[in-house]
Amino acid sequence: MERIAHAPESRRGWTREAAAGRADSVKYVLLGKEADQGLLFRLFLYLILIDTAFIYLKPILYMVITMLKDSSNMLDPSVVWVPRSIFIGHLEEAFRLLKFKTGFLYSLTISLSVAVLQIVSCAAAGYAFARLEFPFKKFWFTALVFTFILPPQLTILPSILMFKQIGWANTYLPMIVPALFGHGLKGALFVIIFRQFFQTLPKELEEAARIDGANAFRFFFKVMLPLSKSAMIVVFLFSFVWNWNDFYLPSMYMSGSKEVPLSISLAKLAASLSADEAQGGISIFAEPVKMAASFLIIAPVLVVYAIAQRWFVEGIERTGLVE
Amino acid sequence: MNGLKLHAQTLRKWEGSLFIAPWIFGFFAFVAFPLGFSLYMSFHRVKVTVSGIETVPNGIDYYREILFADGGLLYNDLIPFLREAAVMIPVIIIFSMLIAILLNQRFWGRTFFRVVFFLPVIFSSGQIVLEFMKQGEGSLAFVESLRINAYVAEYVPKAWVEPINHVISSFVLVLWYSGVQILIFLAGRQTISSSVYEAARIDGADPWNTFWKITLPGLIPFIFLNLIFTVVDLFTFPSNPIISKVSTANYGLSSALAWIYFVIVLAFIGLALLMYSRVDKAFGGKRR
Repeated sequence: MERIAHAPESRRGWTREAAAGRADSVKYVLLGKEADQGLLFRLFLYLILIDTAFIYLKPILYMVITMLKDSSNMLDPSVVWVPRSIFIGHLEEAFRLLKFKTGFLYSLTISLSVAVLQIVSCAAAGYAFARLEFPFKKFWFTALVFTFILPPQLTILPSILMFKQIGWANTYLPMIVPALFGHGLKGALFVIIFRQFFQTLPKELEEAARIDGANAFRFFFKVMLPLSKSAMIVVFLFSFVWNWNDFYLPSMYMSGSKEVPLSISLAKLAASLSADEAQGGISIFAEPVKMAASFLIIAPVLVVYAIAQRWFVEGIERTGLVE
Repeated sequence: MNGLKLHAQTLRKWEGSLFIAPWIFGFFAFVAFPLGFSLYMSFHRVKVTVSGIETVPNGIDYYREILFADGGLLYNDLIPFLREAAVMIPVIIIFSMLIAILLNQRFWGRTFFRVVFFLPVIFSSGQIVLEFMKQGEGSLAFVESLRINAYVAEYVPKAWVEPINHVISSFVLVLWYSGVQILIFLAGRQTISSSVYEAARIDGADPWNTFWKITLPGLIPFIFLNLIFTVVDLFTFPSNPIISKVSTANYGLSSALAWIYFVIVLAFIGLALLMYSRVDKAFGGKRR
């Protein structure tokens, strides 16, 4: 771009300008005319990105490597990153201690049903906030923002009592039923995401549908929902992952239950391992077993992320997430 | 004709009301009612028996106890936490903005880096991060080798030494908390049209100027949004010291504590809003 700008001047032989132009182009190679060009900037960019990526990946690498070390590798000080042999005993141990098979089913039931329910219910609420008319809309929008900033701890105690009264203590229902109504874990955020997304869609779509005589429900399910795939993927992934990892709500609502999701069994496992440590000295196996347990828990989420990440990254950009 | 129009409008209202009705029902059942009940409980001694709940009026005793009598419940944990949050929030915002701007460039391997940088969105919400922190994964060897702690101890007022050092030593944690913030900034950066940048380039603006005159003003609403998101996120994170004190051991006292805490959260958000309106005014002229 800047070559074209400078070319006519140098051709006319205005030497001073040409020299300045040359100095400029050296500068531009190093610094770049725009922030994303230029060698120095590139180097800086990769330096920061690779460092930060390493910081993000290191715990995961550490986790995977620690859990694969057997006792000889653990005691060998020359083994830091690459174990000499691969040992899956810790994984098996963690699998057993976590009661992984059943815990996995519980976690999956909660996260999947909440995620699916939140997609539909939060989309409907978001659509209403973005496009439809209803009485006291401004008030209800304030209420929505209010639910977003409300710490869950403020409502948790009465909710426990309430769910106990209707006999839902120690079941999944306290997590799942609110999702049916567009609430549940971070439900307000998902309503806001859908609202932002629906606001970006052209208004003409609706007018055309209205002239064709479609009512809001038909239109919502036939046109708007199919169009909102990218927002749905973003909400699904957030909702699924956050519910999968969530420890707080299940620990409050299901404290007396035997059917606990994995996040709780992990906490219990960590607690019992450290209790053992306190009693009988430090076991070198506590660490790898904990890491193996952590790995077992994030592995399913990693798989979901690996499948969804392409649409997720695209979706984030396309939803415009925020206004 | 007029009647028909009126009819269409009421119909629209009915449709909208039907759409929002489930959410409003949920709001009453899962937000408004528990909220009111928690306020009620905070003024009462609550006893949960087999047959039901018994409440005895207790006045503002719990509030008085938390605020004035027993410092251990609120202040010992809250003040260090607030100081830490005050250090952490700007670091998270600036870091995530930097990363988002970098990720927005076109460069080789961009997809890979995006996938990696969104990983915290997945992990940062749970037990896993706590486990990592316990393993000492929270500190950075090179930061420690710089001995920043010693400088901080020398130049910073005493009350702030501890929180700043804690943030430095758990710097990875700060990075791990910035997943969603990076996403928000990235989405925000997309809203600034590329034609503005092209125009600036033709006018001969350098990258430095472009950042300060175009990118930053354009991102201000998103900085504000991230500010609120970060405050909400930090203050509702389950490992937060106050939150672990809200338990079923004493319903009344815990409810009072939760309410005091909520007022503090609101104050922080109010501060963010105030700052936003100031900054928006200052930049508002330039943006249009």
